Amino acid sequence: MKNILLLCVATCALTALAARAAEPIVTDSRLITEERRLQMLEAKLASLQHQVNLIEDRKAIERLQQIWGHYVSEGMATEAAALFSDGPTASIEYAQQGVYLGKARIEAFLKAGGAKVLPGELRETPVMQAVVHVAADGQTAKGRWRSLVLGGTQGQDGQWQEGPYENEYVKEGGMWKIARLHWYTTMSSSYDKGWHRMPYPIAGPLRDLPPDRPPSAVYQSFPSFYLAPFHYLHPVTGKPVAWDNVAPGAAK
Amino acid sequence: MKYVIRSLAALACIAAAGVGMAQTQTPMPVAATPAAPDLGPRLTRVADRIAAIDAEANRIDDYNQLRNLQQMYGFYFDEALWDQVVDLFADDATVEVGLNGVYVGKDSIRRYYLGMTAGKVGLVKGQLNIQGQLAPVITLAADGSSAQARWRILVQDGVFGQNANWGAGVYENTYIKQDGVWKIRKLQLFVRFYAPYESGWTRTTAALNARYGKSTAKADRAPSLRYETWPTRFVAPMHYSPTDKPYVLAPDNSVKAAAPSNNAARGVTQLEAQVRALELKLNRLQAVDEVENLESAYGYYADMSMQDATSALFTENSTLEILGRGVFLGRDRIYEYMRRLGAPTDGRLFTHMQLQPVITVAADGTRANVRARLFEMFGVNNVQAQIAEGTYENRFVLDNGMWKYQGLNGYQTFYSDYEQGWGKHSVPLMTYFPGYTPDMPHSVEYEPYPAVFVPPFHYRNPVSGR
Repeated sequence: MKNILLLCVATCALTALAARAAEPIVTDSRLITEERRLQMLEAKLASLQHQVNLIEDRKAIERLQQIWGHYVSEGMATEAAALFSDGPTASIEYAQQGVYLGKARIEAFLKAGGAKVLPGELRETPVMQAVVHVAADGQTAKGRWRSLVLGGTQGQDGQWQEGPYENEYVKEGGMWKIARLHWYTTMSSSYDKGWHRMPYPIAGPLRDLPPDRPPSAVYQSFPSFYLAPFHYLHPVTGKPVAWDNVAPGAAK
Repeated sequence: MKYVIRSLAALACIAAAGVGMAQTQTPMPVAATPAAPDLGPRLTRVADRIAAIDAEANRIDDYNQLRNLQQMYGFYFDEALWDQVVDLFADDATVEVGLNGVYVGKDSIRRYYLGMTAGKVGLVKGQLNIQGQLAPVITLAADGSSAQARWRILVQDGVFGQNANWGAGVYENTYIKQDGVWKIRKLQLFVRFYAPYESGWTRTTAALNARYGKSTAKADRAPSLRYETWPTRFVAPMHYSPTDKPYVLAPDNSVKAAAPSNNAARGVTQLEAQVRALELKLNRLQAVDEVENLESAYGYYADMSMQDATSALFTENSTLEILGRGVFLGRDRIYEYMRRLGAPTDGRLFTHMQLQPVITVAADGTRANVRARLFEMFGVNNVQAQIAEGTYENRFVLDNGMWKYQGLNGYQTFYSDYEQGWGKHSVPLMTYFPGYTPDMPHSVEYEPYPAVFVPPFHYRNPVSGR
């Protein structure tokens, strides 16, 4: 019993000491005046304001990107195009379909293919798996996401598509817009036969609406193997990533 | 007697701490200090600034809680844990799934869910019930007391040896904050399709779609809206539109200005304590995003069999445990494990989607946990394909200022041959790699689907604490 009491007292004494030691700001007012402490607080608050703004930016980007996914799933091309930046360099690029520049051309592409859903067609395409980085100045951001597409036409074979987005965002008039949207196809295939039996070739340029620029990267989807470049360095090592036990020829 | 002594000790403790506090404060009003400028107005400004940033932080926290709430709903639903599911609703909540009518109030909602599994809580052997909660668009009301959200659901369910289904749909839900706790106020799922695995979603019909969400319990009201499921085109009403006033998560300035400042009387010491608390709060919120990035990054590296990059996400003394392959201790062993998965090459598909992350951060902001869903598409061209699902319970730690994996536990829900589907095929728990024994056997004994296994949850029910 006595031991318990002693232990408690010892703990209390330590706690009291710790409570004092934990004070990060020297409180000896003969050396550090209240005014100086207040200055330090003001500086700290400026940095906390910056921090909270960047977290809000990330949430805004998540919301923007998810709204995009819902519009595309519903075939709402005009609404989807309205999420892009007004600038002339705003761009969209799917698979090997080439690059479309500026809002008007982006909308034309979405209507002609990217978000076209004809009667009897399905494009169920949730957006998932975010890696988002907001620039320190809070004016631009980049995000990697993934989309799985359950598609096809009524009564026919269904279609799988899967692949990552590497997108860029810009803040315009205080609101986040998509500056560049690039969706890579990892795999596209027949539902009935499966990706291992009937993979489809990657989608090429639209015949009736040629792109403004050729694809920014030339690659093929499964069964070819391709790594869509990451916008970020490795989060722990801070270095670019690579394979270390694979013949370079195996990975294009 | 023991208790009396303990209580006395506790009192002594408080007193001692009080003395400690007092000592730090007493030297402040030192008479010898030259006449200080009047800091009153600046103190008030700092206090207001703290309150303003804190209000922003709270709205971010609301966003995270809302996201977790709906995702937790999905993970409980997966296992037919109806007590946990029903706890998430407000007393006057409504549930409306497909055209099955509206269930009003918690009792009715409870009957609805129980009526989906013949009155039983939990799955029975052979049942699969995956309800992926994806793609949130969360809109928090200006006053912070309610919210709306649109989500998509991806369903994979069935009964082993009998049937398997794909399902998809859109939620438009509302939430309410009561006594500081977020609850579901209205859950409405617009079913898009619910189709047998064999024929796929493109051959579904209205009758097949209508099978989803059936309960033996009678609804309280007729459906609030009649609509046709796919292949008829129907866009579930959206709670947002391009013509809305631009939405920002940060508090509305006009609302903020209306709040009177009551901090004027506070001293520097109190403000310092408030700022420290605010800094911790923001660091914890930032941790949510950093940990989400890490969880997602893992999946993208796993897709590409980048064993170097994957293992570098782990701390020196971390653990990794996947399927029934046993426990691998330390980053070097994790690297060896990853190497066994083989090199990426043409003709191989190894897609590891990381979905539905429920993220919680410890009170001190140095540790975090994630429950997430794995959706895997595996393939060898012209040879075979598998479709698979798993549950992660991962641990993260702040290691020298950097978030890393401290432990990864990937539970096997099912791995099925694509040509047969989960209705006809599911491989047993995958055990040790041949010739590569783990450092320890796997920590939880279980059998995957068609057996019933609930991967342990790292969190309690956010509403009931159950």
